[in-house]
Amino acid sequence: MEAPQVTVMPVTGGTINMMEYLLQGSVFDQALESLLHRLRGLCDNMEPETFTDHELVYLLKGQQGNPFILRARRSLSHPTSPWHLRYLGQPEVGDKSRHALVRNCVDVAASHSLPEFLNEMGFRMDHEFVANGHIFRKGAMKIVVSKLSRILVPGNTENTERLSLSFLVELSVLAPAGQDTMSEDMRSFAEQLKPLVHLEKIDPSKQSASFMGT
Amino acid sequence: MSGGPAVRVSIESTCEKQVQEVALDGTETYVPPLSMSQNLAKLAQRIDFSQGSDSEEDGIDGKPRDREWTKQEPEEEEGTVKFQPSLWPWDSVRNNLRSALTEMCVLHDVLSVVKEKKYMALDPVSQDPTAGKTPQVFQLISKKKSLGTAAQLLLKGAEKLSKSVAENMENRRQRDFNSELLRLRSQWKLRKVGDKILGDLSYRSAGSLFPHHGTFEVIKNTDLDLDKKLPEDYCPLDVQIPSDLEGSAYIKVSIQKQAPDIGDLGTVTLFRRPPKTKAGTQQWHVKLEAAQNVLLCKEIFAQLSREAVQIKSQIPHIVVKNQIISQPFPGLQLSISLCHSTGEKKNHRATPDKPKPDDHLYVLEHNLHQMMREFHKQQLSSVVMPHPASAPFGHKRMRLAGPMAYDKAEITSLQHNEGLLEKIIKQAKHIFLRSRTARTIDSLASRIEDPQIQAHWSNINDVFESSVKVLITSQGYEQICKSIQLQLNIGVEQIRVVHRDGRVVTLSHQEQELQDFLLSQMSQHQVHAVQQLAKVMGWHVLSFSNHVGLGPVESIGNASAVTVASPNGEYAISVRNGPESGCKVLVQFPRSQTKELPKSDVIQDAKWSHLRGPSKEVHWSKMEGRNFVYKMELLMAALTPCP
Repeated sequence: MEAPQVTVMPVTGGTINMMEYLLQGSVFDQALESLLHRLRGLCDNMEPETFTDHELVYLLKGQQGNPFILRARRSLSHPTSPWHLRYLGQPEVGDKSRHALVRNCVDVAASHSLPEFLNEMGFRMDHEFVANGHIFRKGAMKIVVSKLSRILVPGNTENTERLSLSFLVELSVLAPAGQDTMSEDMRSFAEQLKPLVHLEKIDPSKQSASFMGT
Repeated sequence: MSGGPAVRVSIESTCEKQVQEVALDGTETYVPPLSMSQNLAKLAQRIDFSQGSDSEEDGIDGKPRDREWTKQEPEEEEGTVKFQPSLWPWDSVRNNLRSALTEMCVLHDVLSVVKEKKYMALDPVSQDPTAGKTPQVFQLISKKKSLGTAAQLLLKGAEKLSKSVAENMENRRQRDFNSELLRLRSQWKLRKVGDKILGDLSYRSAGSLFPHHGTFEVIKNTDLDLDKKLPEDYCPLDVQIPSDLEGSAYIKVSIQKQAPDIGDLGTVTLFRRPPKTKAGTQQWHVKLEAAQNVLLCKEIFAQLSREAVQIKSQIPHIVVKNQIISQPFPGLQLSISLCHSTGEKKNHRATPDKPKPDDHLYVLEHNLHQMMREFHKQQLSSVVMPHPASAPFGHKRMRLAGPMAYDKAEITSLQHNEGLLEKIIKQAKHIFLRSRTARTIDSLASRIEDPQIQAHWSNINDVFESSVKVLITSQGYEQICKSIQLQLNIGVEQIRVVHRDGRVVTLSHQEQELQDFLLSQMSQHQVHAVQQLAKVMGWHVLSFSNHVGLGPVESIGNASAVTVASPNGEYAISVRNGPESGCKVLVQFPRSQTKELPKSDVIQDAKWSHLRGPSKEVHWSKMEGRNFVYKMELLMAALTPCP
């Protein structure tokens, strides 16, 4: 009995072709209250949502130079929610006039056995951190204000130490490939936040290897 | 110096000590006066020892030098003196007073000399005689000029005054504009783009996904012609709404009998007058609210028409221009239309000659609005927010689909499978069914007097379910004959009847079914009533059947029958009641009372004549009594002989 034929065509549809548009900025701790007030006024009218997440970054070192990076994230405030596995590609070097950072993004929900699975597949955990803060929404745009903390003892999420005295602000939109209309809306929204926080596109490859490049 | 008594001038310093500081509670701190040694040291500092011993001995010489020096420098001396310091700090004062005294003395001398009029005389200044002879033309010109100057001054002043008044008015109007703007901002979302003020009247921040931008512009209305009188409803702020949202709109939902032709579809016009604006509300508020309502109606209609086209149903929905037509029940037509009038042309032709009955179901229109807003709210619910935060937006349960390996059936059950149109059709069906049930019960109640039918509608209903309790009673015997109590639960397409004895019957939406059912229950009631009455009267129930198989077949339900016997057993009453055939009452007499007794040799004992014999029918319609049970009671009473 023959094994069924395996197609070698790659998967092209569905979630594979989503692009993430990203703008980042930061505020000091003292300015957080005013930023949250402003976001509450500008964004959709919902109860403010806080989150506490634990992210692990896995690397797969191949023979070539660049390792393959996967990010596994779980919610500490909602322990029953599934894990979230994310792959972020290289930022697209399109026209310079595009206002936001665009990169390929694959999001997959996974069960709670994800870390073991990744270990079995050959990935090794590079670093982990805890992020907590607030999340806002305006239409399709997601605004995340988070404080990152380093985990002192691997695996222990209680014992954390703050990495900096500021909060990271990220404005992101997930859209199918080819739709470029979102960057204008993102830019006008970033304009409205102008004096409090400057959101701009920060190329992670141009930074030295650090925790901050999300 | 002329004679006269010496004038005594006394001078004293105002304060001995200088105030250094005044504390917060008012106490003053004085500079402590210099002690003797400090004073001496201060004076010694001022001595220039390089001058030699001349300056110390000769005080007189010092004076002219002093006077010289005072001419060059200001009168007050500071500590930077190189020459001998002045011996007397009041020197300048003395000099000034002396010169003043001199002047006064001179004046006094002159006046006294003038008074004598011998050596000096006062003489007025003589007028120039030629001055009076100026020609009148010059006088005129000069007067004109002076008047002109005065007039110019006055005009300038008046101009300034009027300018300031106008400025005040302008300021006030600006302030009015600003205060109006503040009021506008407290109710609507505004933002500044360049030098324009734009606002947002759409529901997008409340969760709507309708692609209309909903932007309005705020216009300043402050440059007015001051001469014209201000109109009564003047407002310094005006709003400009998008052109497709002008006017007013509403969604008309109505149920009619199916129209024989479909020629006039899509021609529903607005004939409801817009409500009068409340006094005190601003014009811009009314405008913005109307525009927002139009936007919401458009969104609702767009959603309904999208669903009407996409959703497959047994009888397809028709979407024509601004009307959606569907068939909830056969022979019935539900029409949902968007009536939008821009209010520009007054279409008198549209108003019909005779007023059409207002079959607009306001409840369903209100429900449409509510369902739309609920849909908006669902978009904003925190169920959509991702935990962990990096996950994309989406329903919480759908995120579990992957890890929990849901199959297609489970996923479809998670999706919202009922759209707005289906919900509103269900609600319309229920409303129609309920009103038709009520009409059926009412028509039966008015048509049939015996037995009586009562309906108690429950106050608390659902959009898809209502309930009514139907009681069938006989007048005057409510406590005795209460065995028929029906609970009707009116659903979307069916009516479920729960009987008092536990039977559950499901009726369809046909009107005739309910009517037949109620008629059969009424006929059963009569028979039950006889049964209950027999217990009260002491008669014995010999047999009872809800559905007898004898006699003519009824087309509606079944006939029921009961046989009761008198207490002493002599008489028996048999009743057969059917919904169609009416009631038939037979009375069985004892054999001794019958006229024709078949003579036979079999019966020998006389006691057998007390047994019940043949039966005779009662002319029920000729019986006395207002209703069946009353007649029955009378009959029973008549057949029970008093002891």
